[in-house]
Amino acid sequence: MKRRDLFRMGGLAALGAAAAACGSGGGTAGAGATRLQFMYWGSTFEKTAVEKMLRSFAEKNPGVEVKPLFTPDEYDVKLNSLIAGGNVPDLGYVPMSMSYRLAEQGKLVNLFPYLKKYPQLAGYLPDAYLWYGPDQLHGVATANEIELLWYSKAAIAEAGIAAPPAVAASAWSWDQLVENAYKLTVDQNGRHPDESGFDPKQVRQFGISVSITYAAAWYGFLRSNGADFADEAGKRCLLDTPEAIQVFQNLQDLIHKHRVAPGPGQLAATGDDVPGTNILLKTKRVAMVVDGHWALLDMNESKVDYGIGVLPKYSEPFTTSQVAGASSVFAGGKHVEEAVELFAFHIDPRYVDLYRQGLWMPQERKYYEDQAAIDSWTKNDGHPPEFRTAVVDYAREHGVPDLRNRVKNLSAISSDVLTPALQEIESGKRPAAEILKAVTPKITGMLQGWQHTQEV
Amino acid sequence: MAGLSGQRRLERRWGWLMALPAVLGFLIFTAGPMVASLAFSLTDWQVGGSPSFVGLDNYTAMASDELFWTSLGATTYYTLGAVPLVLIVSFAVAMLLNQRVRGLSLWRTIFYLPTLVPSIANVVLWIWIFNPDFGLLNSLLRQAGLPSGQWIYDEATAIPSLIVMSTWGFGNTMVIFLAGLQGVPRHLYEAVSIDGGGAWRRFWHVTLPMMTPTIFYNLVVGVVGTFQVFNQAYVMTEGGPNNATLFYVYYLFRKAFRESEMGYASALAWVLFMIIVVITFLLFRNARRWVHYEMAGAR
Repeated sequence: MKRRDLFRMGGLAALGAAAAACGSGGGTAGAGATRLQFMYWGSTFEKTAVEKMLRSFAEKNPGVEVKPLFTPDEYDVKLNSLIAGGNVPDLGYVPMSMSYRLAEQGKLVNLFPYLKKYPQLAGYLPDAYLWYGPDQLHGVATANEIELLWYSKAAIAEAGIAAPPAVAASAWSWDQLVENAYKLTVDQNGRHPDESGFDPKQVRQFGISVSITYAAAWYGFLRSNGADFADEAGKRCLLDTPEAIQVFQNLQDLIHKHRVAPGPGQLAATGDDVPGTNILLKTKRVAMVVDGHWALLDMNESKVDYGIGVLPKYSEPFTTSQVAGASSVFAGGKHVEEAVELFAFHIDPRYVDLYRQGLWMPQERKYYEDQAAIDSWTKNDGHPPEFRTAVVDYAREHGVPDLRNRVKNLSAISSDVLTPALQEIESGKRPAAEILKAVTPKITGMLQGWQHTQEV
Repeated sequence: MAGLSGQRRLERRWGWLMALPAVLGFLIFTAGPMVASLAFSLTDWQVGGSPSFVGLDNYTAMASDELFWTSLGATTYYTLGAVPLVLIVSFAVAMLLNQRVRGLSLWRTIFYLPTLVPSIANVVLWIWIFNPDFGLLNSLLRQAGLPSGQWIYDEATAIPSLIVMSTWGFGNTMVIFLAGLQGVPRHLYEAVSIDGGGAWRRFWHVTLPMMTPTIFYNLVVGVVGTFQVFNQAYVMTEGGPNNATLFYVYYLFRKAFRESEMGYASALAWVLFMIIVVITFLLFRNARRWVHYEMAGAR
């Protein structure tokens, strides 16, 4: 072959590749088969479980193929890019920060008309539904996750204190939490923070870790102290009320006054990535951690000697519930009916392992009320004895839905003003009152009300 | 084309064909998106919706956008620190590596090596160095009996920490300085020696003036690149704490891909482009005063 011919062929090949790249739109189905794409995020364990669920759906529905689109990182960026390119999946997880916008743009299927066809979807906990207007339902929170007080049994035994209560009625007061956290905090020389010579820069075991920048971690405390994020109309921010200030001052004091909790970066492994609660408890880096129910799966997988307690309370005990992303069906696909069928299937504890394994809590009310139904997901090795009171009863009686499902425009509020202010509280440079009084009017300026809610 | 010989015609045709991938790449992946983003910057466009024309609203909105100014301030602060520091460090190292010492190529390789480490790997390494509890920096300080710091986790020290980190990848700048140093004519040094000048005079009267074109080049490239700093904010700090490291391009990225405000983000991109153009223009204007070319007038 002459060199010139070689060049020509190279040119042709390049053009061919370009043409092929332009021509291939995603989501084209094989001959005859209905092909659905399911997009989701999660841990490696979740990936395996979701794939299994999708396979069993395909087995029950001959002629339907489901392609899993596992997207562990940068989910919002990738989903935004797919939408901009007009190449959306059929259904899947949608971050709450995007789901309401997509629903209003008509990119998500209104599931309200389908509630009659799928009665199991109609029996959900009221807070699970994600409404974007009257009779307009763009999805449900994938699972009903709540915040809990996880602890290392070994650390509790070493300190010789009673374990955090697993029943909401006997939850610790904030002062009791602080008192116990002192006993659980130990520096490299074995000293506690209330002993002289304690070295706060060389702490071997922190008493407690609770995030200040993650709203789900503190929203239960806020409500328990009689405060809220915004007023009834959802137009005025209430973070400058004395009750709210007290909650955040207490959180700041854990780090800077009592020195029983890690400050910014102290637990970090890479950037903002703090090691999982399972690792923190197993290594006894921290004795008690406020984290979501989903930690249970990793806790079991890595064989941690853990216990579950309810969060400390101010007056009435509360915990943040529905801490999850949305599950939704995308509009405009060729197979919307089949996609809704899979939607109803993917969050049904009868078919999905993730409930028994401890990653998800069901959304159907009967799984919190009916004994046989409760046993169907909690009576197994993955769920400790205190699970019934510390999680099932706690979620049913004391859950308040996460702000992300409820406050309009929260995504912009968080990234533009709220998170920076919370980081400042965390840094301990100024008291919480000063910071909250400065940021509250800014948040009020961005508030657009609460999301719509209604009975089914 | 009648005047061209067959050879020239052939070369012209093949020349274009050979350049085609680059030209197409530029048109499709650079020029096209630039024109599109200019158009989008005049619209209110959220991903998933359709763009609506709003004129210059996105541009005027920036004036009252607190975070726009915060991000511009953080980026300027970083540039003012990082660019001079990298220039000084890489120039100094280039001078050292321009001496006749044993194992010269080994030294040059070692100093260049960090530049070959992928940017993200670099960032992850520095996250560990800066860790307040078990990081290298605080461990060393403690052993020396000095006070330790919070580095990237403290508002006040976050940007200075990142500036220090920026010197890590000085290899490319250093190589350019090294090339420049080797182009300084020997006879000028000899002239200084004959006049009785020592090392300082050789540096001050020969090396530095002869190197000004190289310094100027590295300055311009450094400013243009540093204004677009992104990875550190994206991987290490997420713009925090309290927006201390909210770099301009990271803010733009957040607007575009997290809040899907594509119109506003496009406007931000064009404003950054204009800022860089203006700064580059000012640098060139100013350069006439201090940049000396060996052959006067030749640029």
